[in-house]
Amino acid sequence: MDFVIETKELTKVYKSEGKDVLAVDHLNLNVEGGSILGLLGPNGAGKTTFIMMLTGLTLPTSGTAKVLGYDIIKESREIRKKVGLLPEGFGFYDHLTAPQNLDYIAALNDIPKAERVKRIDEALSLVGLQDVKDRKVGGFSRGMKQRLGIAQALLKNPELLIFDEPTVGLDPEGSRAFKDLVLRLNKDGKTVILSTHLLFEVGPLCHSIVVMNRGKAVVQGRVRELMEKLMAEEGYRIRIEGKGNLGTFADALRGLKEVKEIKLEDRGILLKAISDISLQIGRMASNYGVEVSTLRVEEPTLEDLFMKYYRKEGISIG
Amino acid sequence: MANMFTVASKEFSDIVRGKRFLILVIVFGLMMTVAIASIYLRVIQAAQQAGGVAMPRGFLGLAAYNLITTMSYFAPILGLALGCDAISGEREKGTLKTTLVQPVFRDTIINGKFSGAFLSISLAIVIASLVGIVGSVLTLGITPTGEDVTRLFLFMLFSILFAMTYYGLAAFLSTVSKRTTQSVIISVMLWAVFTFVIPIVASLVAVSTISVSIRPFQNATRPFKNATSRQELQRYVEELRRQSAITESIQSIAPNYHFTRIAQYILQAYAGGIGARIGIGGAGQGLEGLRAASILQSLSFAWPNILVLTISTILTFIASYMVFTRQEIR
Ligand SMILES: Nc1ncnc2c1ncn2[C@@H]1O[C@H](COP(=O)(O)OP(=O)(O)O)[C@@H](O)[C@H]1O
Ligand SMILES: [Mg+2]
Repeated sequence: MDFVIETKELTKVYKSEGKDVLAVDHLNLNVEGGSILGLLGPNGAGKTTFIMMLTGLTLPTSGTAKVLGYDIIKESREIRKKVGLLPEGFGFYDHLTAPQNLDYIAALNDIPKAERVKRIDEALSLVGLQDVKDRKVGGFSRGMKQRLGIAQALLKNPELLIFDEPTVGLDPEGSRAFKDLVLRLNKDGKTVILSTHLLFEVGPLCHSIVVMNRGKAVVQGRVRELMEKLMAEEGYRIRIEGKGNLGTFADALRGLKEVKEIKLEDRGILLKAISDISLQIGRMASNYGVEVSTLRVEEPTLEDLFMKYYRKEGISIG
Repeated sequence: MANMFTVASKEFSDIVRGKRFLILVIVFGLMMTVAIASIYLRVIQAAQQAGGVAMPRGFLGLAAYNLITTMSYFAPILGLALGCDAISGEREKGTLKTTLVQPVFRDTIINGKFSGAFLSISLAIVIASLVGIVGSVLTLGITPTGEDVTRLFLFMLFSILFAMTYYGLAAFLSTVSKRTTQSVIISVMLWAVFTFVIPIVASLVAVSTISVSIRPFQNATRPFKNATSRQELQRYVEELRRQSAITESIQSIAPNYHFTRIAQYILQAYAGGIGARIGIGGAGQGLEGLRAASILQSLSFAWPNILVLTISTILTFIASYMVFTRQEIR
């Protein structure tokens, strides 16, 4: 399997007012092509620094990395040619219109003049700015500028897209449109990395996540696998609802060796088991005269997943 | 290479279409025009006194003096105005980030910025000088000779160099400063020091270290009558020479001094008549010898000053380059 990003012991130490700031700490990470990856973590975790190293905007203090097979130190220009990047704290020229701004960027990307108009139109349509082509960027709202930033990343038609805090400044509608765009880009085979401190904003889109804290990747993996692991560790939550003597039934279930916890609620029973025993429960119910209306394994939510790791790391969810 | 032209032409069109550029060119164009108008009035006056016979070439010294003085303010202010936010402005607007995430190297950006600024500075100086030159030529009714044209061309060239020295200084400050306001304050302060403080300090130091013993011309009743007074006169001249040597060596810290020197050497051919009074001409060389100097001779006199300006400009560029290519961007 080829990885679009491979890092080995990637480390960045900033010198700031005589003090060393360890922003990225011996990071080892592989990102699979074709996926949507969430790079998550609180402010100051090192996400932006990591992204800047990947694209040659800052040099690592030690360690190495490859992006699309190119070395981040020696071939950073090739990387920036093929990677669309929405950086943190980007800006545009206020006295120019959106197409004029993009034209400059197209020129820097060696996009031939003949192709530019078409490419710029496409990028602007993808982010919904096609109707404000004659307006100067100085008059744009924060959300419009954010959209233009995204358009800038799309302009070079990249294989890999990295968005740093992409939903900052977007209204709910813009944020939804952005998520649709990400899914569409991914469907076209592009790898998308979404870096954000807002977990729930983009979390649900991601196939894989990396949670960073204090420069380290504290969790990484496919969301599905992480969920399964979480269920195995924390137990399967099974909800049973129905008519009959639920109290007696609950006592009987408590006797099963797979059951770790059981709770009798108003409308039913909630239990935690070490494996999926819902079939067994269904069979037992009729023996106890319980008419089951609902019997389901409750999948853990993304929130459960984050809560677990964030609590372990002592990070507050913001 | 293609990218450097992209950055340079962007920089050029941003500057030239900006308000700052327009305002500076208009203000200095007006200053030139006012200076020419004053020459025009003097020409008319002189012509009336001489019974209608004008001697326009005699006023070229004054015209040259006006040109040099105006340029000695215009060039530094132009350089500072364009350089003081060259990097910090883009950093503050975030456009630097947007540019750096494209497939360009940082040296391309700084090269492009300096080249774009060089082109716009050249344009501004050519416009402002042409206003002064064409205005003077029309006012005085003179047909410029080939030599005139060459000297004026050289004058523009070295004015551009002078403006670039200040641009480089300001651009360097803009690269190291966190904010534009910071680089504006420091570069304006440096300009004020070079333009006003150093000349004053230089003459204060000179006057206080070398005291001039006598003032022969004040004692007009017996000027140079005997051996004693001839010796006195020699001593006096020697003291003055030493004073001006001290003044000049202190002033040579400032780029302004070198520019004035170069401009004087180049335009001293016009230092006849009224110009001579205002002191166009070198201190070291006899005025007569200078006035007769050919263009090549003028250049060879100005050579050390040209070298100083060129080297300082290159140094500011190298310093900006080194800082910018190594700097962390936030
Ligand atoms: N240019 C810099 N100089 C000094 N410290 C920096 C610099 N950039 C980032 N840092 C520090 O590095 C750490 C990681 O920051 P950053 O990468 O921006 O995190 P995130 O994007 O996850 O919020 C923080 O402690 C931050 O203060
Ligand atoms: Mg960040």
